[in-house]
Amino acid sequence: MAAQAKHDWADDDDLDEITTDLPPPQKIQNKDGSTTIIEYRYNENNQKVKTTRRIRYITHREVVNPRVAERKSWAKFGQSARDPAGPAPDTTSVGENIIFRPSINWRKDAKDESKDPNAQAMKDKLKDKKVKCRICNGEHFTARCPYKDTMAPIGEAAGADVAAGMGDEAGAAGGASAGVGAAGAGKKGSYVPPALRGAGGAAAAGAGERMGGKYGERDDLATLRVTNVSEMAEENELRDMFERFGRVTRVFLAKDRDTGLAKGFAFISFADRGDAVKACAKMDGFGFRHLILRVEFAKKAQ
Amino acid sequence: MRPVLLAGHERALTQIKYNREGDIIFSTAKDQHICAWFAHNGERLGTYHGHQGAIWTVDVDPTSTIIASGSADNTIRLWEVKTGKLLKTWDFPTAVKRVEFNEDGTKLLGVTEKRMGHLGTIVVLDIKVDPEAEQSDEKVMTIVCEESKATVAGWSYLSKYIIAGHEDGSVSQYDGKTGDLIYNVNVHELGSPITDLQWNQDRTYFITASKDKTAKLITAKELEVLKTYVADTPLNSAAITPKKEFVILGGGQAAMDVTTTSARQGKFEARFYHKIFEEEIGRVRGHFGPLNTVAADPTGKGYASGGEDGYVRVHLFDKGYFDFNYEVERERQNRLAAQGGN
Repeated sequence: MAAQAKHDWADDDDLDEITTDLPPPQKIQNKDGSTTIIEYRYNENNQKVKTTRRIRYITHREVVNPRVAERKSWAKFGQSARDPAGPAPDTTSVGENIIFRPSINWRKDAKDESKDPNAQAMKDKLKDKKVKCRICNGEHFTARCPYKDTMAPIGEAAGADVAAGMGDEAGAAGGASAGVGAAGAGKKGSYVPPALRGAGGAAAAGAGERMGGKYGERDDLATLRVTNVSEMAEENELRDMFERFGRVTRVFLAKDRDTGLAKGFAFISFADRGDAVKACAKMDGFGFRHLILRVEFAKKAQ
Repeated sequence: MRPVLLAGHERALTQIKYNREGDIIFSTAKDQHICAWFAHNGERLGTYHGHQGAIWTVDVDPTSTIIASGSADNTIRLWEVKTGKLLKTWDFPTAVKRVEFNEDGTKLLGVTEKRMGHLGTIVVLDIKVDPEAEQSDEKVMTIVCEESKATVAGWSYLSKYIIAGHEDGSVSQYDGKTGDLIYNVNVHELGSPITDLQWNQDRTYFITASKDKTAKLITAKELEVLKTYVADTPLNSAAITPKKEFVILGGGQAAMDVTTTSARQGKFEARFYHKIFEEEIGRVRGHFGPLNTVAADPTGKGYASGGEDGYVRVHLFDKGYFDFNYEVERERQNRLAAQGGN
């Protein structure tokens, strides 16, 4: 097994990593009358496979016409002459289960199926139409947008190229489209999504923080917003700096998409809020790369 | 239910027959051998070799001793069921499209094709149900179908009549002894051939399937149409189920058009209709070609279907099949039960 070149973790359950010999097949008589048979074999990839079967033998006794019984003992002939007793696998197989239940309402049941072609026709009609999200320009409906609670639609956030609060995980997926910062939230007269309402200027950060994605809720309490970060800063450096205070679950450093330079702010999430409080107190005003960091708790989006 | 798939043929199935006790299934296809299978588990008993062309039809005598087959090599052959031995060959000028034993297995009818200047005929042969016996060469009777060739034919109860279905959609009744035409009735749409004719258990009535997308239940004595089952596809086969009052129809559009349509549109399903109420009560899918033949197990426990796809599918019905009753049927049963109680 150790020599196994391509090892698929998904197979782990079925693999025995230690021994190289196949264990002998086991037969266990269960209490309920069934038998468990455990067998080992190598599959075509030379992986060891454990097969566990539970079998219950049921003796089904049927009284048949003596002529029928006699016919069952007949020798096979023709192309089957050499087949052993029992159905030969090359000619006889068992098909998939078919549910056949006679019913008067048969046609009504069938109507549900007939909807399928209609649905198909609709699909064909829409095949050439691209779905475009108004929030992030992604290929999904606006209602399905992962940022719909935290971002304004794209038109209202014109020019906002702030990758505000994109989480590590979301950052990969969101990419360019996520650039619609919470900047739009501050603009007067424009539509403000409910998630950003009443948050004021500071909301930019708070909302951005929410955009950390599905982890947002959990991180809120222990996330710090760090501003006045040097352009040259790296995420690793920030992580090293803040790890002194406790376990850091997430570091996000906003970077310019084109130049790759940091934008000057970052979010640090701690596993424990106590650590975050400590870090906030110590790091606020800390000098880092000729700049004085400003550290505060990230505000939660309303 | 889990059907048993029998893959003993390389080409399209042409006919399936159960023997009288329902324990052996015989299948013929356009390849050149007959297969015999055990119905309970799908085990193949053997194959019968000797025909030189597509085999169109097979029938087994009531004692399951011999089978007869008709083929496109212009012969009817007689085989011993147990060993696969060829017992006898009768030669004809054209292909044989249908064979059927009468109720006691002493007579065999064969339907020959109209071709090469020969008219379609129905021939009757005397059979000795004994693998050792010498079979006679002589044709006892020959009925010539002058108007429209017969496509299918069968013996009625007591071998009293020979009933034939014709290419023009009509059904004729001939005297079983003299071969005289008694009736000819147009039952199906004019010009749509009758593709199958199967009897109920006592052979007093039969069901015909036709390309006009209907199947009809007809009495043997008066050729009166009792019931009509309307399908939405040309039918190749129809069978009457024992035990339950159903009929099974098999069809699908013509084999030549199959590749141009999807399986769903092809309607390759066995259709179950209630025999009395003429209503469709369900379908069984599974084949990926038209159904060429369906056969009902004489014990009523299941049915087998053979398709253009080369597979035989043997089905054993679930409990739901036997439990199904129309409201009126249930009421009647309850009433009878109540009367029995008093």
